[in-house]
Amino acid sequence: MTHRRWFTPWLLAGPALIWLAVFNLWPAANTVILSFTNAKPLGGGRFTGLDNYQRAFSDDQLADALLNSVIYLLICLPLLTVLPLLLALLVQRRLPGITFFRTAFYTPVVASAVVVALIWGWALNDRGLINGVLRQTGLADSPVPFLTDRWLLLLSAIALTTWKGLGYYMVIYLSALANVGRELHEAAAVDGAGALRRFLHVTLPGVRPTMVLVSVLISVSSLRVFSELYVLSNGTGGPGGRDMSVVMLIQMYSRGFTGHLGYASALSLLLFLITLGPMLLLTRLNRKAA
Amino acid sequence: MRRSRGSNTPRSRSFNTPSPAETALRYLLLLFVLLLVVGPFLWQLSTSLKGPTEDVWSATPHFLPDHPTVDNYLKVADTIPVWTYAANSLVVAGIAIFGNVVGCTLAGYALAKLRFRGVRLVFGLLLATLVLPGEATVVSQYVTVRSLGLADTLTGVALPGALSMLNVLLMRTAFAAVPPELEQAALVDGANVRQRLWHIGLPNVRGMLSVIVIFTFIGAWDDFLWPLIVLNDPQKYTLTVGLQYLNGTFSANPRLIAAGTMIAFLPIVVVFAVCQRFFFKGVEEGAVKG
Amino acid sequence: MRRIRAAVTTAVLTATLATGCGLGSDGSSGSSDSAASAAATGEVKGKVSLQTWALKPKFTAYVQGVIDGFEQKYPGVEVDWLDQPGDGYSDKVLSQAAAGTLPDVVNLPPDFALPLAKQGLLLDVAKADPKLGEEYVTGGLDAYRFAGLGGTFGYPWYLNTDVNYWNSELLAKYGLDPKKLPTTLDELIAQARTFKEKAGGSAYLMSRKPGLGDLVDAGVKVMAEDGRSFTFNTPEAAAVLDKYRAAFKEGLLPNDVLTDTYAGNSKLFTAGTAAWTTAGANFITTVATDNPTLAPKIVSSPSMGTPPLYVQGVSVPKNTKNPAAAVALARWVTSPENQAAFSRLTSIFPSTKASANDPLFSKSDGSNAGDAKVVAFTSLAKAKMLQPVQVDDAMSTIVKQQFTLAISGDTSSKQALDTAVERCNQLLKG
Repeated sequence: MTHRRWFTPWLLAGPALIWLAVFNLWPAANTVILSFTNAKPLGGGRFTGLDNYQRAFSDDQLADALLNSVIYLLICLPLLTVLPLLLALLVQRRLPGITFFRTAFYTPVVASAVVVALIWGWALNDRGLINGVLRQTGLADSPVPFLTDRWLLLLSAIALTTWKGLGYYMVIYLSALANVGRELHEAAAVDGAGALRRFLHVTLPGVRPTMVLVSVLISVSSLRVFSELYVLSNGTGGPGGRDMSVVMLIQMYSRGFTGHLGYASALSLLLFLITLGPMLLLTRLNRKAA
Repeated sequence: MRRSRGSNTPRSRSFNTPSPAETALRYLLLLFVLLLVVGPFLWQLSTSLKGPTEDVWSATPHFLPDHPTVDNYLKVADTIPVWTYAANSLVVAGIAIFGNVVGCTLAGYALAKLRFRGVRLVFGLLLATLVLPGEATVVSQYVTVRSLGLADTLTGVALPGALSMLNVLLMRTAFAAVPPELEQAALVDGANVRQRLWHIGLPNVRGMLSVIVIFTFIGAWDDFLWPLIVLNDPQKYTLTVGLQYLNGTFSANPRLIAAGTMIAFLPIVVVFAVCQRFFFKGVEEGAVKG
Repeated sequence: MRRIRAAVTTAVLTATLATGCGLGSDGSSGSSDSAASAAATGEVKGKVSLQTWALKPKFTAYVQGVIDGFEQKYPGVEVDWLDQPGDGYSDKVLSQAAAGTLPDVVNLPPDFALPLAKQGLLLDVAKADPKLGEEYVTGGLDAYRFAGLGGTFGYPWYLNTDVNYWNSELLAKYGLDPKKLPTTLDELIAQARTFKEKAGGSAYLMSRKPGLGDLVDAGVKVMAEDGRSFTFNTPEAAAVLDKYRAAFKEGLLPNDVLTDTYAGNSKLFTAGTAAWTTAGANFITTVATDNPTLAPKIVSSPSMGTPPLYVQGVSVPKNTKNPAAAVALARWVTSPENQAAFSRLTSIFPSTKASANDPLFSKSDGSNAGDAKVVAFTSLAKAKMLQPVQVDDAMSTIVKQQFTLAISGDTSSKQALDTAVERCNQLLKG
């Protein structure tokens, strides 16, 4: 027995459970009920059965949004699982000035979406910094439509996500790396293992649980991407709205006085079911590894 | 825990000292990433220092202001009560940090180290919150806060974020990484839950705690929509909301907006730069734990 | 079934229920009449709150002056002024409405007032104030009268319209005569062609994509009379989009029109990359701070076709605790004197009939900003609300998306219009 009184764990977890119920589960339950109605933000709604779900299955925009999410996931998952780990390894070594670099690499994480949007909008538009450089170096004679082509816009948003995520996941990896005993490394070094082998046989197994956690976080946030696409397309989702993400659709339908809360709630629930997939898969992997 | 002192032996020195070529390569990489990551912010900083006669619109702007001036900052401080807003933001961040540090530590410990009936259910619910549909729930959150009598208060702003489920999960992960032998030994010695949490758990998760402090601070500091909805009295506005007054007065001077965003952004950088020693030390603390 | 419905009502709008009286009823219920009669006969005293939108800090002194005047006129009344920032105002008002905490007098543009009025949350001010029609211009009042709802749900406050602004330096540089400004879409496109040949992509004459307003000019009826369905998928509308599509393909418009990021039309103009924009009457003053060298080179002209009418107004929620003071304050804020004083501070126009002959608006001080103000004032007489109030955020996003798709050439104009109408109708019904 880890504790004497049966209620000790509940006492410790109590505050968290209250918050869980009031600020997470209750609004979510609300969403489930709403998804079967045609509710508006003002003035009730009528029970409409599965209408919202039927509508979702014939919604072209939702199909586009799901495709975007999958692409997002496929590109972001490897990039953001690996690059921050490499970055963490780079800044882990105590070189003079290293704390400065660590702090600096973290700045995009702390910047608010508005600042980031402003800057990237400037950099990527037709007369922006990047197109300017491309033209001056002769790599492109006409501006590259980073923000107006369906696929380029998606890639730009992915680049932005990666840029913002580097520092965030780097810190998580740093704290994990710290737990990989230095002695193990040293022992391996003495045994004549090269840097690559040490990485593969000591570092990687040591940070595997963290990698799993990080990839869960990345999968969920890729499927639920919002601000990058929203900001780069100024809320419109590009030509024809083909660069909308599911969360953008939910926002579009739920915001405002005439918000279609019922349909937005149904979309929220579908998104929930979809994100559940990778989560279950990854927790299973985690359990196997452990 | 004592074993790590051994890193002063001659054997480990050879492991610790990289070759000059490697050091040079490392710095080169560090500088490259630095340019990618902070370049855009310096650009924004430079815009905020430009005088009214300088062209801030051109595609290839001068990086250094020709006539650097702090007028834009003074103008911002003249226009809105920056200090009041910043103090309000600090209060909100303070409450949120307190709630997260205490609540998530307790709950994380219970979930990781105490065996009790229902632990899997609670853990499952917590995981589910990561993907729970929260997009269409702002209005119902507001109603909850209002029915608690906390509308138009800074406490009301801080409340929903004062105990984040993600942070509970992070603390759980951190406690789970503490070697079980330590717990076992203390348990054999007859230490109760409070003693084990205080003397064995906490010293080993300081890294994760500092991560949570920073993340919570940033989240509270940058949030816009939620404080706007909760607060009515402009005297109680937080900084991000208050800065909108710069944007909302019929005109949009990019220099003033740049100065405003810098005013919101620099405190985060300063807080982070001051805390980073503790932060990264905390992140790395595992190294002395063995 | 009944249980489900009960659950729905509780769950959804705990908000609506929590607020109790005055909410949830539709149209003209008894409480409206009682609030209206209380407003007409009650004594003006006690606390009353006023909510404005993005007037601080630029107009702090003005609004405070108006409030002081009101408190002097009615001793014993105390005004609590709240000014909300520009961003997020609809979320703010929505949560106030859901929680039943709308201030006593609240600045609502017509498209915010419509959903609130539909829910029976707003006072029909015509009932409290029968002489409304004599004091305010019809266009302003009409903005607060909605198809299917009987009543007037706000006092019109200030009006504005769009004017064309041209960068005379760019026009002259690229072969156009600032004295012969285009007055139709075809002329505009022809001039854009000349402009493009000389400028070669370094600057553009046209830099905005069409909206619903442009369709109205082409004689398209955007919405059915009863406000229950959209009807803008006509051949005339397709023709307008086709013209823009051809112009875009020719390179007469920058790529930026396909996105609104960073470079909105007026921002491109301010930056000196676009030679034409449409904007409100105070635009030149704005440019004077953002790009001082450009401001003196701007010339203005009336908008092509029907000028758009923008209306701001103040409404009184039906559940106000102090109807008499609320109505008196709403009337005071929108009184001819106070409105005239407001429009002296910035380029907006009063919604009161008394101000129509004010020489301030009909005579220019000779500056280009003054000229623009006169152009705007004369346009106001024929200005109309081009975008129906029923168009909400989601609908305008859909319209933007489909119009962009058509202009980029990825789909036919007809197809884009059909999709837009279909989706908007679905939203309107749902």
